[in-house]
Amino acid sequence: MSGERSGKNGPSILVGTSGYSYAEWVQAGFYPPATQSGRMLPFYARHFPVTELNYTWYQMPRAEPLERLRAGAPAGFFFAAKLTRSLTHEVDPADWRRQASLFREGIVPLVQGRQLLAVLVQLPPDFERTAGNRRYLAELLDSLAGLPLAVEFRHRSWLHDRVFAELERRRASLVWVDEPELPHLLPPLDVVTNPELLYVRFHGRNAAGWRSGVMQKKFDYLYSEAELRQWLEERLLPRRGLFSRGLLFFNNHVGAQAVTNGRQMLSLLGEAGF
Amino acid sequence: MSERSIIHFNVADFAVAVERLCDSRLRGRPLLVVQPGSARAPVYDMSEEAFGCGVRKGMDLGRALKLCPEARLVAPHPERYRRAMADLLRAARPWAPRIEVESESGHLFLDVTGCHRLFGPPPDVAWRLGRLVRRDLGLSPIWTVGPNKLVAKVASRLVKPLGEYIVGGGEEEAFLAPRPLHLLPGIEGPDLLCFHDFGLYRAGQVAAFSARQLAVPFGRRGSHLYDLVRGIDPSPVAPWEEAGSLGFEACLAEDSNDPAVVERELLVLAETAAGALRRLRRVARRLTLSLIYSDGGRAGQQAASSGGSANDAVLFDLARGALLRAWKRRQRLRFLRLACDRLAPPPPLQLELFPAQPAGHQHRRQRVADAVAAVRERCGAGSIGRAHVFAGSAQGGASVAAGP
Repeated sequence: MSGERSGKNGPSILVGTSGYSYAEWVQAGFYPPATQSGRMLPFYARHFPVTELNYTWYQMPRAEPLERLRAGAPAGFFFAAKLTRSLTHEVDPADWRRQASLFREGIVPLVQGRQLLAVLVQLPPDFERTAGNRRYLAELLDSLAGLPLAVEFRHRSWLHDRVFAELERRRASLVWVDEPELPHLLPPLDVVTNPELLYVRFHGRNAAGWRSGVMQKKFDYLYSEAELRQWLEERLLPRRGLFSRGLLFFNNHVGAQAVTNGRQMLSLLGEAGF
Repeated sequence: MSERSIIHFNVADFAVAVERLCDSRLRGRPLLVVQPGSARAPVYDMSEEAFGCGVRKGMDLGRALKLCPEARLVAPHPERYRRAMADLLRAARPWAPRIEVESESGHLFLDVTGCHRLFGPPPDVAWRLGRLVRRDLGLSPIWTVGPNKLVAKVASRLVKPLGEYIVGGGEEEAFLAPRPLHLLPGIEGPDLLCFHDFGLYRAGQVAAFSARQLAVPFGRRGSHLYDLVRGIDPSPVAPWEEAGSLGFEACLAEDSNDPAVVERELLVLAETAAGALRRLRRVARRLTLSLIYSDGGRAGQQAASSGGSANDAVLFDLARGALLRAWKRRQRLRFLRLACDRLAPPPPLQLELFPAQPAGHQHRRQRVADAVAAVRERCGAGSIGRAHVFAGSAQGGASVAAGP
């Protein structure tokens, strides 16, 4: 396994992809022909030290299959898990506390195995900073207390010093995103709210695809090496002293471009002394 | 072979869900869908609350009401369920090239293999379609994703009445291993009893045996069970047809274990089904016979015909074969259901070059069936039939109804 970069007295940086189980990655040549989705993780783990589980957004994690997944990964492999949609995008006010409790139960194998580096709380674009939503987010973070949390906002109203201060108080990471420069999307962030964990997601910069709303177009983007280098030099390196561990996830999964960019990023981090 | 991606959609307690859509007052309390008026009438469907009280499909109404006295009763409306099913199909059609209607009871299989470039990963397709169905139709489906129909269906049973489950290719056996055997489609009644006699309760326990070992108690079914507990299911998602399936059912006038009585009712069902198929200009390539015993026990078998048929005699022969395989208990029967699916246009008529029998037997049977159908078309369904059916009716026959 490769993929963790650690600088001298600097932070360790782990690079991975958002999800690893894509049929098209077989066609793209990353996985050997006929690799079944349930057997992709061991192969993936030869290239990257961490993955962001996105199936946990669609389906409430359950301890039994998650334990099987964990057992199939090599020692020293890590996971981030996306919080289930019933707690972010499809919240039932009468049931969300039970959902939070189910999530905590389901994620136990990764916690006990000390392989869970973060729980990604990705909030929907229409989740504005209203009094009700602020209260809900505070209660949600309370209900997940003790788990390593990273919060990804998709509405600009949350870009506020008081929000950052509250995340800092809770030791929750503000997720940095790299995405197309569109008026309604978040601008690049450089605030580190959790000195223990920086969490970055690269969604690609396909503006037309993003407008289409079609997933296969939205995340169809290949970063050039120059773009990655620029991001590294302008965003990460100036703040390398502010955190002890960084997670960089590539979400441009279409055609396995996330794999290509992940490998390039690893190489650039190596050049930068990580 | 590359990995398949099968999505199973299941609106749990479909008839109940549709009735509650039509009448919101039926929500939040136990509900039985059953033909009222007779304590012997089998329960057609029941809500989760009634299920929790112990009510099961096929149970007679009298017993169901003893278990769940506060239940409200609603008569079945097969036409409503057919319309709701058609809406469900219409919503699903843009998402998959192959859709199979397992039965008109809220079950759909979508084969989305190779569609990821168009629509994204299968779980995303399932989630989006589920959201669409909830928004547009008001129904809340279970959705599961698996590498074949068997695994996807077991996953649905696992999360019922609501939820989702994703099983990756290569995980079939590990996924099934801890599951109780009764969750596996096709393992019912006698098989379960036999497994329990051996102290086997979970798929993983049975998977420890070879096909040859399983053949000792189960005979030729041994190899099928061997595949089943390992999650091996190469059966394709059958292409979607305009009229996905037809179903006909009969409640015997009196519970009976007399083969002559049961076969007589089966013949009526087969003839009714054949007539309906001919009117649709379709042939059925598969029949599913479901039986309900007087104690509520259920059994079923399927019979397939590669070319398909809409001939009374051929369908009856297929159905009788299924009956012989399904009817294993001495318990009296109460209810029969014959479903025809995998419908297709009739194959083009090809005369034999060297017919074994000039103006052969099959041809004569077909002509008789056509003549009978023509008389029924003109004079009504009960105007003509086989003599022994009429004789049986005179002694108190069953009523036949078209169902979903």
